[in-house]
Amino acid sequence: MNVIGTRTLLKKEVRRFLRVPGQTVLQPLISTTLYFVVFGFTLGGRQGDVNGIPYVTYIVPGLVFLGVANNAFLNSSSSFFITKIQGTIVDLLVAPLGPTELLLGFVLGAMVRGLLVGLLTWVAALVFTGPHLVHVASTVLFLALSAWVFAVLGLVAGIWAEKFEQINFFPTFLMLPLTFLGGVFYSVHALPEPFRTISLVNPVVHMVEGLRAGMLGLDEGAPLGLALLGTLALAATAVAHRMLATGYRMKS
Amino acid sequence: MEPVLEVVGLSKNYAKQAALEAVNLSISPGEIFALLGPNGAGKTTLIGAVCGLVKKTSGSIRLLGIDLEVDPISPRRDVGLVPQEINFDPFFTVRESLELQLGYFGRPADPARIDELLEALALSTKADQPTRALSGGMKRRLLIAKALVHRPRLVFLDEPTAGVDVELRRDLWSYVRKLRAGGTTVVLTTHYLEEAEELADRVGIIDKGRLLLVEEKGALMKRLGERRLEVHFRAPVATLPPAAAAGSLSADGLTFVFVERAGAPACADVLGALYAASLPVADVNMTPAKLEDVLLRVLRSGNGSA
Ligand SMILES: Nc1ncnc2c1ncn2[C@@H]1O[C@H](COP(=O)(O)OP(=O)(O)O)[C@@H](O)[C@H]1O
Ligand SMILES: [Mg+2]
Repeated sequence: MNVIGTRTLLKKEVRRFLRVPGQTVLQPLISTTLYFVVFGFTLGGRQGDVNGIPYVTYIVPGLVFLGVANNAFLNSSSSFFITKIQGTIVDLLVAPLGPTELLLGFVLGAMVRGLLVGLLTWVAALVFTGPHLVHVASTVLFLALSAWVFAVLGLVAGIWAEKFEQINFFPTFLMLPLTFLGGVFYSVHALPEPFRTISLVNPVVHMVEGLRAGMLGLDEGAPLGLALLGTLALAATAVAHRMLATGYRMKS
Repeated sequence: MEPVLEVVGLSKNYAKQAALEAVNLSISPGEIFALLGPNGAGKTTLIGAVCGLVKKTSGSIRLLGIDLEVDPISPRRDVGLVPQEINFDPFFTVRESLELQLGYFGRPADPARIDELLEALALSTKADQPTRALSGGMKRRLLIAKALVHRPRLVFLDEPTAGVDVELRRDLWSYVRKLRAGGTTVVLTTHYLEEAEELADRVGIIDKGRLLLVEEKGALMKRLGERRLEVHFRAPVATLPPAAAAGSLSADGLTFVFVERAGAPACADVLGALYAASLPVADVNMTPAKLEDVLLRVLRSGNGSA
């Protein structure tokens, strides 16, 4: 294991997004905060409480999740893709960095950005709703797992994509519908059938509910969410590792 | 001594054509080896297969004594590559790029080493500039610095002086010689045959994916190089001494031309014979053998015996 090499790659990934904080941190923070203001206050007035919790508070975990997932995904996908396009992938391939080192460097770097945006979103929300953090350990666990899963999926997308168009494919056609139909703004348990059952195959639902359980103390099925997330994390990691090990779309 | 690189039966097929066909090559520690051949011959592919950029189709590669099939990662700690294609990360400065590269190779921070390289490659004044602000030649030099920052035992230079101006090219050559003096093995490809002539201990000639010959440079030049001797006389000469019979006399008897092939007879002996016969020599011109001519001859004949 090349520890210094992995740490260097991680450091590079973090420095890279911190060089353009307006684009990588501030802009996502503003857009999630806007969701919060619009959905929480304008619609929330009509919506009323959910499971005894004010609507504006109820949507905070989902929005934190959105910040974490989107930014973790965007960081690893765009960073790896750009590394291929500008040819600096060569610097990584000639170095003694195996698939594990590459995976950890890119994924941990993306997690830092995702968690940073998530944390800032949460802090922004605090101003409106006051602090809610019932189970610290399970909150941290769900956040870390969500960040890991989306960072790994982003890496897979970045490895796979060969054109700019393709790099936008996932956020638009996969991430956006999954997150908006994932119960970020509502409880899927309140949906009529068959939408309720259909929603339950969406992994995002379980991530959001797990986070809600951790932050608000609502029990909407955290153990199932955890199992699902764990499985997804393992499967995605195995795919990414395999791609890195074989040099898929990196080596000719 | 055990070779630092041993390639056996290496082949690489792309969808449409074969880029390497059963290449065998062994590089000894401490030598400068020049790989020559026309565009598309397979030089970059060969280096890429060794450096982990190209997936080989068949054959085996032992790098610093380790079979890459068994361990593709750890021998890379001591190998450097200057890729043919310029690349740079516009997010970082020159110094940062070198710090990162050193870290990727698992080495701790070493500012003194980075300063030394910046100095050697005339990049000191650009150290804290973003890489996108460098000229083409400077970017190429940054690539060289990146390839050397971790003090590799074996370094591949794929067209290292393309786009680097003449003056700096000379500096670079002396730096490469310094590397070798420090025990580094160098494998280089180049378009400037003068460069190979200057630097190489051994030469390999590759064409259409096949390695046509590998030979010590001096021996190759002697065997296939042609030296030309031209002598002008003060007064017309009618007959040549027997020892100079291999040469030819112009119709007016004023000019004598001899081409030395494979060292026998030697120009020196032919010239000596002219003097011994007391011919009225006015002027002597020698054109040394050129690697370029040797290369063309080998490529034309398609094999090393030329
Ligand atoms: N990625 C690739 N896909 C398909 N063919 C390639 C690729 N890279 C190189 N080739 C082909 O392989 C041959 C050898 O190329 P290369 O090794 O770059 O030659 P050289 O470095 O000697 O100029 C060429 O015919 C080239 O077109
Ligand atoms: Mg080439």
